[in-house]
Amino acid sequence: MMLRFTVQFLMFFLVLGTSALEAQIRFDAKVSKKRLGLNERLRVDFEMNENGDNFNPPPFVDFQVISGPQQAVSRSWVNGVQSFSKTYTYFLTPKKKGTVRLGQAEITINGEVYKTSPIDIEVINAVEKPNDPNNVDGLIDGNIHLVAEISNTNPYLNEGITVIYKLYFRNPISVSDVSELEAPSYGDFWSHLIKIGRAEINMRGSYKGEPYNEVVWRKAVLYPQKTGPLKLEPLTLNLSLSVPSNRRDLFGRRILTQSQKTLTTGQRIINVKELPLRNKPESFTGAVGQFDFDIILDKDALKASESFQAKVKVKGKGNLKLFNLPKISFPNTLEVYEPEHDEQVKITLSGMEGTIEDNYTIVPQFQGKYPIPSVAFSYFDPTSASYKTLNSQDLLVDVFDGPTSSTARNNPQFQNRKQLLTTNEGAFRFINLDTKLNLIKREIFWMSRLFWILILTPILLLFTSYLFKKFVLGKSQDTQTQKQRKAAQLAKKYLSSAKKEAQNQARFYEALERALHNYLKAKLKIETTEISKSKIKKLLLEKQVDQRTALDFIILIENCERARYAPESSVIIQDDFEKASGLIVKIDRQL
Amino acid sequence: MKKQKAIRYFVSLPSFLFLLFVNTTSFGQASLESLVAEGNEAYNAGEYQKAISLYEQTLAMGQHSAALYFNLGNAYYKQNKVAESIFYFEKAKQLSPNDENILFNSAFAQNMTIDSIEDLPLSQIAQLQNRLFSMFSFFSWSVITIILLWIFVVLFIGYIFFKTEALKRTLFFSGLVTLLLFIGCFMITFTIDQQNKNTHYAILFSTETEIWSEPNQQGEFLFTLHEGAKIQLLDDLEDWQKIRIANGSEGWIKNAVFRKLD
Repeated sequence: MMLRFTVQFLMFFLVLGTSALEAQIRFDAKVSKKRLGLNERLRVDFEMNENGDNFNPPPFVDFQVISGPQQAVSRSWVNGVQSFSKTYTYFLTPKKKGTVRLGQAEITINGEVYKTSPIDIEVINAVEKPNDPNNVDGLIDGNIHLVAEISNTNPYLNEGITVIYKLYFRNPISVSDVSELEAPSYGDFWSHLIKIGRAEINMRGSYKGEPYNEVVWRKAVLYPQKTGPLKLEPLTLNLSLSVPSNRRDLFGRRILTQSQKTLTTGQRIINVKELPLRNKPESFTGAVGQFDFDIILDKDALKASESFQAKVKVKGKGNLKLFNLPKISFPNTLEVYEPEHDEQVKITLSGMEGTIEDNYTIVPQFQGKYPIPSVAFSYFDPTSASYKTLNSQDLLVDVFDGPTSSTARNNPQFQNRKQLLTTNEGAFRFINLDTKLNLIKREIFWMSRLFWILILTPILLLFTSYLFKKFVLGKSQDTQTQKQRKAAQLAKKYLSSAKKEAQNQARFYEALERALHNYLKAKLKIETTEISKSKIKKLLLEKQVDQRTALDFIILIENCERARYAPESSVIIQDDFEKASGLIVKIDRQL
Repeated sequence: MKKQKAIRYFVSLPSFLFLLFVNTTSFGQASLESLVAEGNEAYNAGEYQKAISLYEQTLAMGQHSAALYFNLGNAYYKQNKVAESIFYFEKAKQLSPNDENILFNSAFAQNMTIDSIEDLPLSQIAQLQNRLFSMFSFFSWSVITIILLWIFVVLFIGYIFFKTEALKRTLFFSGLVTLLLFIGCFMITFTIDQQNKNTHYAILFSTETEIWSEPNQQGEFLFTLHEGAKIQLLDDLEDWQKIRIANGSEGWIKNAVFRKLD
C-alpha cells in the first residue's frame, strides 16, 4: 500500500513535469485478440491522448469492415489534471486464413504525423462458437450442460434401455426457470416415461470429474422396435439463467443479469442389433429378457359342461407388453373361449417387470380324457446372448360325467347310430374278452386260384350239360321224331286212297283194309292178307306193340270187313279213318 | 403232375367251404389265445404296459382279431397315447366296421386329438354306394358272387333238362335274375377290391407336422396336423409324401412319422 502510494506520488510529479515541458503524445492501435478464427470478429481501437486531425486508418486489405469508424472522445479532469482520449474503433472480420498484418494508421497532432506500429494477427480455422467476449454466453457455455445418459447404446432388438436426461450447472450460474422446447417422441421405440415429481437439485453431482449441481430432468425406458442405427431425437430445454456480469454494483458485488439459453442434448444414435438368427427356436415370438413360464389349470377332474380355466403365465423381466403369449392347442372337442389377457407389469428404470397371463375358459362337452399338450415358450436372454426355451409340463384333464361323443357323427354311414351313442350315457367301454384269433396274412380269396376254379367250374358244367343235351339226348329224340314223321307219311300214303273214297262206303272200307294190310306188309315184311286176325295180333305183340293197340288194330280190320257188307253211317267212316291214322302212328312209334 | 394238383384243389374245395364258415385255426392257437387272455388279465389289473406288450406279441406271431386291436386301442388310451390308440381302433374298425363298442371307444380316443377334421359331405349316390358296399365284408362279397354263379348254373341246367313248359319258363327267368345279380355282385366286389388297392390310409404319429402346398420349401405353408390324424397317402417324391385328409385338403409332408393302416 505504502509502495503503491509512493509510486503514484512520484508518477504525479513526473507527469506534471513532462507535461509542463512538452505534453507527451501517444497514438496506439489495440486489438481485442491476436489470434482469432475466420468467423470471429476483431475489434481494433486507435487511441490518442491529444486531439488530432486527418485520421487515416490503415488499409484493411485482408479484413472486411463490419462497422466503424466510431469516434469516442473522453475528457476528464482529475484533481486539476486534464486527461483526454480519443478513440477510433473498427470491427473487422478476417477475409483469409494465415498471419495478416494490420497496417499503420496515421494522425496529425499539432502539425506532426504520428503512426501506429503494425500488428500481426493470426487467423485460424473457423471456431465452433465465435465468441463475443463481451457476452455472457461464454461464461454460460462452460458452466451448464444438458446430457442424455443412455444405459446401452448397442442393445438387441426389444432389449430395454434407459435414457436419463440430466442438467448440470455450477457456479456462478444459477437456473431460475426451465421449460421444454422440444421433447423427443421416440419414434422407433416403445417408450415409457418414468414420472419425476419435483426436479431436485443434487449438489454433489459431478460432470466430467468436476463438481456440478445435477438435476435429473427426465427418465425414459425404451424398447427398440427396429434394428439398425436409430436416431434418438434431442431434448431441447429453454433455460432462464442468472449470470453475473462484469459490472459491479456500488458495493463491489457483481450485478446479475438474466439470460435466456437454449440447451439441447444433440442427436444420439443407438445401434440396435438384430437378434441372432442362429438357433432361433420355432416358438420364439419376440420375448427378450429373463422369464419364467408355466401353464396352470385350476382343476384337472370335472364333470362335463362344468368349466375349468387354463392360465398361460409368463413372469419375469423384459419386454412383457411387447410379445404374444403362446397359444395352447386344445383337443378339438373342448369348447374354448377367447382368452382373457391380464397384465401386471411395473415399469422401473430397469425395465418392465411383472407377469402377463392369458386365461382360457374351457367347457368340455363330452366325457373322456383330454390331454393338454406341452407348450413351448422361447425368449432371448440378452445377458447371455442366447435363446432359451421353456416347456410347460403335459397336463391331462379328466372329464368323468356326461355324454360321450362319437366321431361317427360326421360319418353319414353311421348317422342313425350317432343319436344312439350321444344319448347313451356310458363310460369308456371295457375290453373285449374274446380271445379267438385269425391269421393276419389270410390269403385273399378274391381273384385267387380257388376263386377262379369256383367261377370256371359252374360255367364248364353249364356248357357241358348244354352239349350233352344237344348231342346225346338230342340225337335220340331226333330219330324218334323222324320215325314218327315217316309213320305219319306212311299212314297218309296208305290212307290217302281211302280218303279219296270217303263218299263210297264200300270202296272206302276196301281201301282202308288194303291200306292197313299194306302198312303191316311194309312194317313187318309179311303178307298179312291171308293171315288170320289172331296171327296178326300175335305178330304185333311179338314186335313189342302193346296189347291194347294191337287189339284196336284187329278190331279196326274186323270193322272194315264187316262194313264192306253192312252199310254204316258216314260219321263212323270219318271216325274210322282217324282211328286208322292214329293207330298207324302209334304202332309205328312202338315198333 | 398238374392233374394231381388240380385234383387236390377239387378235394380241398369242400374243406375250404367248411373253413369259410367255421373260423380257421392253426397250430399253436391255444398258446396264443392264452397270451391274449393273459393280456386281458393284465389290462384288468391296470398293468396296461404289460397288456400292450402281450397283445403285441400276439400280433407279432401273425395272428389278429378285431377284439385284439380293440383291446390294444383301449390299453393305449389308458396310457394317454393318442396316436397308437387311434391306430389300433382304426385297425379294429377295418375288421369289424359296425361294432358299437369299437366306435364308442374310438370316439373317446378321437376326443384326445388336437385337430378337428370335418368329413366332406357325401353325395346321395356315394352314401348309397357306401351303404351297399359295407353291407358285407369284402370276403363275403366274393363268396356271394361265387354262390350266385352256382345258383345260376344249377337253374340253367334245370332249364335245359326239364321238359315241362311252365317249369322251364320259371327256371329260365329266375336263372336270368340270378345272372344279373351275379354280374352286379361281381362288379361291386371288383370295385371294392380296386378301392382297397388304391387307397392307403395311415395314422400320423408325429406330434406336429406341417403341410406344404408343394414338395419343396418354396411352396406355401398350408396348415399343421397333430398326432392321431388320419391321412390318406397319395403320391410320394423323395422324402415328401402327398396326403389327403378327411375334409378334402391335400398337401405334402416331410419327415413325418406315420403308420400305414394296411
